[in-house]
Amino acid sequence: MRALVIDDSRTMRRIVSGALHPLGFETYEAEHGRAALDLLEDGLQVELACIDWNMPVMDGLTFVSEVRANPAWRSITLMMVTTESEQGQIVRALAAGAHEYLIKPFTPDAIRGKLDLLGLVAVEEHA
Amino acid sequence: MSTVVEHDQVLAIAQEVFAAMVDGDEGLLQPWPGELPVIEDAVVAWVDLHGPWPGRAELRTSGATANDLTRALLSLPDGEVVTSLDLVDAFGEVANVVGGNVKSLLPLQGSLGLPQVAPSAPAVPGARLVQELPLSWRGRPLVVAVWAFAQPALPEGTRLS
Amino acid sequence: MGLSPESFSFVADLVRRRSAIQLAPGKEYLVESRLLPLAREEGIVDVDAYVMRVRGGGREADLVRVVEALTTNETSWFRDSTPFGALRSTVVPAVVATRGPATRLRVWSAACSTGQEPYSIAMTLADCLPSSASFDILATDLSEQVLTRARAGHYSQLEVNRGLPAPMLVRHFARAGAGWEVAPQLRTHVTFRPHNLLDAPPAGGPFDVVFLRNVLIYFDLPTKRAILRRLRQVLRPDGALLLGAAETTIGVDDDWVRMPAGVGSIYRPVRPVPGAPAIPQPRTATWSAPTPAVPAPVLTRGAPR
Repeated sequence: MRALVIDDSRTMRRIVSGALHPLGFETYEAEHGRAALDLLEDGLQVELACIDWNMPVMDGLTFVSEVRANPAWRSITLMMVTTESEQGQIVRALAAGAHEYLIKPFTPDAIRGKLDLLGLVAVEEHA
Repeated sequence: MSTVVEHDQVLAIAQEVFAAMVDGDEGLLQPWPGELPVIEDAVVAWVDLHGPWPGRAELRTSGATANDLTRALLSLPDGEVVTSLDLVDAFGEVANVVGGNVKSLLPLQGSLGLPQVAPSAPAVPGARLVQELPLSWRGRPLVVAVWAFAQPALPEGTRLS
Repeated sequence: MGLSPESFSFVADLVRRRSAIQLAPGKEYLVESRLLPLAREEGIVDVDAYVMRVRGGGREADLVRVVEALTTNETSWFRDSTPFGALRSTVVPAVVATRGPATRLRVWSAACSTGQEPYSIAMTLADCLPSSASFDILATDLSEQVLTRARAGHYSQLEVNRGLPAPMLVRHFARAGAGWEVAPQLRTHVTFRPHNLLDAPPAGGPFDVVFLRNVLIYFDLPTKRAILRRLRQVLRPDGALLLGAAETTIGVDDDWVRMPAGVGSIYRPVRPVPGAPAIPQPRTATWSAPTPAVPAPVLTRGAPR
């Protein structure tokens, strides 16, 4: 499976990608929403996008709305991975079309847990 | 009277951030016992909060400790040179995550600026120190501070700190 | 830095005597990881040194803390979503079909630890029961320490990140300081009470559903069997038992039938034959009770797609 990791911090892209690799994901990185849209428009196909909220050029919420507006990208699972942690912000992101919301800080195990819930990781216990 | 930004809440936030992002284990960030020594060759990472509660969350430590923090975050081997780009990115992201969680303590939503790193943060006239926590990360001094830039409107029955 | 064989057998002995939980050789890592936080609190970095101190001191409070640390299960909301999927797709529709939409469902969450399981059950039922139905959840644990945390219903950011779907978080929790708190409405459905699985079953039954996940693995075979027998006494004849993903009643106690539910299984008690000993059931018995008109099982995994 393939994942697009969108965060303006290289450190955070590294942490998120590092948590996804052992789960069988190949990762691609973008430093803001516009750069991520460019990758998708150029034909990159991913099953998952992990999206920071506060980024220069295009923020994560705008990216989510843009992806949801294009039927060709309907199958992409969108997970916010952000330090924005007020209840109202989570509601806004879900309303815009995000499927899941992971609040920073998080442990690698938490990413795995969220992907389990989204059906994006094989639950080997039941295999 | 309840407090909006409590000392213990800021401590809990800082400890969670370090346990999850930096150390992979709990217990390595603790209150500094006794008086904090002068921090030599300081580096400050901060994010500003905008909106109804203008303010700042900042982390301050020595250049050497900030380099070690960056190595821990980027899994660089001991002794590998940390570039200033690495430092700004890694140390800044720690401030960003601390700041975002401090923002969640506030009763009114605002927005978060992008993280910055420098030898000192620019002073803001009239800024008031809301919390300042002297901490020990693996035995090295590190300060987490929260500032208010203006007297915010407080809900009845609450105080800032 | 490792745990010495003497320290391990001291801890294993202590835990077995007090809780009947078996820590077989090979569980040294479990002892080390569970006792490390206690050691750190005492300013000791080495678990072996900590155990030697507890052993030498013989203080009751230390002994209780060691037993509690080793008998507490790490829980994480819907992380293993299978039992909650079974509850939603199989158990609830069957109960509603037989008893009508105004029924009252009773659930026992045994060994509930810090409360993630009973609150997850409550969230699932609040979602999938008809509004005319009601439900009560009895949540029990051996440890007073974890029950106090469970009753408080306060979870840190790191804890809510572990397997709690975001739509559930915003619906059933509110921000409280640096963490989150279970909404009062959800709490009204859950009662916490201390209970030891080696004692008589708790009052509050008979139950429609019992959750007993990742607990049996700690006990030896005769104790497992005794626990399952006692549990049967408070489970309704048409009730359902939900075990952990790696657990089964098969080969332990023959008075249960395993039935597929969603991607997992549930266990139903075998109906006792009056005046005759229970007949052992074939291992893959299928349930022959009248099948209620229920929608095809749908595996729901968090967010809408």
